[in-house]
Amino acid sequence: MSTKSSDPRVASRRHFLKSATLTGAAALASPVVPVAQQSQEKASARSVPQPNLAAETQPPAADPVNQTSSGGDFMVDVLKTLDIDYIAINCASSFRGIHEAIINYGQNVKPEILTCPHEEIAVSMAQGYAKIEGRPMAMMCHGVVGLQHASMALYNAWCDRVPVYVMIGNIVEADKRAPGAEWVHSAIDPAALVRDFVKWDDQPASLQHFAESAVRAYKIAMTPPMAPVLLSLDAELQENPIPDRGRLRIPRLTTVTPPAGDPVAIAEAVKLLVAAENPVVVVDRYARTSAGMARLVEFAEALQCAVVDQAGRMNFPSRHPLNQTFRRAAVVGQADVILAIEMNDLWGTINSFADRIVRSSRPIFKPGTKIVTLGTRDLYLKANYQDFGRFQDVDLAIAGDGEASLPALTDQVKRLADASRRSALETRGKRLADLHQATREQARAEATLGWDSSPITTARLCAELWAQIKDEDWSLVGNGIRILWPQRLWKFDKPYQWNGGAGGAGIGYNAPASAGAALANKRHGRISIAIQGDGDLMFVPGTLWTAAHHRIPILYVVHNNRAYHQEYMYLQAMAARHGRGITNAHIGTTLTDPNVDYAAVSKGFGVYAEGPITDPKDLGPALKRAVAVVKRGEPALVDVVTDPR
Amino acid sequence: MTSFNRSLVLGLVLLVLGADEVAWSQSAQADDTASGKRVYISVGCFTCHGRSGQGGSFNYPVPALARTALPVEAFNAIVRTGPNDMPAYPASVLSDKDLADIRAFLRSLPGRRPAEDFPLLNQ
Repeated sequence: MSTKSSDPRVASRRHFLKSATLTGAAALASPVVPVAQQSQEKASARSVPQPNLAAETQPPAADPVNQTSSGGDFMVDVLKTLDIDYIAINCASSFRGIHEAIINYGQNVKPEILTCPHEEIAVSMAQGYAKIEGRPMAMMCHGVVGLQHASMALYNAWCDRVPVYVMIGNIVEADKRAPGAEWVHSAIDPAALVRDFVKWDDQPASLQHFAESAVRAYKIAMTPPMAPVLLSLDAELQENPIPDRGRLRIPRLTTVTPPAGDPVAIAEAVKLLVAAENPVVVVDRYARTSAGMARLVEFAEALQCAVVDQAGRMNFPSRHPLNQTFRRAAVVGQADVILAIEMNDLWGTINSFADRIVRSSRPIFKPGTKIVTLGTRDLYLKANYQDFGRFQDVDLAIAGDGEASLPALTDQVKRLADASRRSALETRGKRLADLHQATREQARAEATLGWDSSPITTARLCAELWAQIKDEDWSLVGNGIRILWPQRLWKFDKPYQWNGGAGGAGIGYNAPASAGAALANKRHGRISIAIQGDGDLMFVPGTLWTAAHHRIPILYVVHNNRAYHQEYMYLQAMAARHGRGITNAHIGTTLTDPNVDYAAVSKGFGVYAEGPITDPKDLGPALKRAVAVVKRGEPALVDVVTDPR
Repeated sequence: MTSFNRSLVLGLVLLVLGADEVAWSQSAQADDTASGKRVYISVGCFTCHGRSGQGGSFNYPVPALARTALPVEAFNAIVRTGPNDMPAYPASVLSDKDLADIRAFLRSLPGRRPAEDFPLLNQ
């Protein structure tokens, strides 16, 4: 074989390389076809145009290929001052700059990346985490398609008044966008999509701008009423070298002291409450720190009043004698003063509403009942989404954080209630204690109904679960059964033992939010349990992989009623209303044919699993084995075929 | 045949007839109960009240119906008119016979039992 090529293309390339060497780097950078090649092409019209191999394989010397810093590094420096432990992401090129900075420059610590197979999972994990930990988790996604995925979960967090620190990637300058995906993944104002349900957003134009907005965003998110915030991060800002690090300054974070209610208004409220025969406290998203529950207990005991807990947070111990949650209609009906603390839907709590052809409503409180509100709800609302509920007339509205304001109310109740009044209060407290005990007995008796049935009743499921966790340091981080059997049967008496609900009633919350909460519980050595609706899990099954990958200890007990059951009931009501097709309501509402094998799904994601459990006798042993797995630091799932509710 | 024997025979006949009557009655009741269970499931009563009549929740708590003490008239009136958020079932989709069978089924279910008998409910 000859070593000398007769191929004219080789000769041309050699000639070009020689020319390039002589003419320097400027020529290399140019895609201009070499003169020699042009000659060849002229010589033969049939020759095929060839690529400029040199230009395509040799980096132009004038174009830097390495950099020693990036805007992303500085962003990481800023995030570290905010003490954010985790950032939940679904990886995306629009934030590749800060992603790389987090894992290498920041060594994947504060924040540590949580890999999520869907942006909705990332946001919901952050929501669940914040409620347990009392501070936000960050999440990051593509500014366009990622944020579209994330949006429903952000709405849940907004309705639930939970801080989530959202960052999105965007490419602001049009001439910097590569053809294709970078165009369809860019927007002029990406935050517009979610602006109705984030508290604040910004798209910083410089690194200094980022630093100030990052600190501001954290501060705003953590000021009651808390809510998600969003920063849109330009890719150029993330990726380009820092021009002058010495000129950049990271502002100091000082969080806002939650506002306490006006003392004059508080004194007026206390006067009403102490004089009342049957004062009632209704409470929803009240407890925001570990001190919240103890403060409410102290207040209720000082006043010996009924407490109705709408369970937006872990507000009040389930077995406290003053807990009258399951006598809501009775205590509200007898109330002469109602104190509503951090209530989202006060109207819905003290009025009844009939979902009939002609919709109607009526108060369940007596005429003349004085209604006092305390909370931050009135301080910040938006117009479009109607999560604020129907307007309720009240007699006194105190703007102030419930938890921050309550000690002042308690002190004044203690001062105002003299010896004779105290005696009356104690008598009332004893009566309420008796009624509480009777309600507990009723719950236990009702739990016996269908005890041995298959599908398994939700009461039996909760009783079996309680037996396995009651001696552990446990935390119920999610509950997919609409009936509150755990609150009826279990002893909740620690601030972290319940984590509230979705907020926006958006399906796909429970599984990932529970995982986020379990991650927060992990550092405290708590056993996290989520009673997990099957319909919810069908939205976000990838959560199980995230739990396995990050070794999040959580027990998912699947309440597998094989339906989107609330919708099943609504459809049944429609069919009955029309007097037709009352046997068809399963169509479009049930998850059967085939039945989903959640244990198999779970194992596929690397999570220990048992089930489907159909015989109630098998449930206790299965739960016991699963709890043992969780105690080893891993996730587990038990699929239980249950009756609807 | 002595009067004693006649009486004995008559007694036996009546006993046999009575047993048949009871057996027939029990059989009919079992049929009603089985039919009631089928209808209770097929028309969706279970979706709110549970397969065991244990109750549940819709927009409000839904009452338990196991071993219902509701008289026939009250039971029928509730199903036909549907209080609160409960759908009303007209006779065109749920006959009086179906209603009677559903009630028979619910009456046959075990009611509340003493929680003290259940160790899991005493902790």
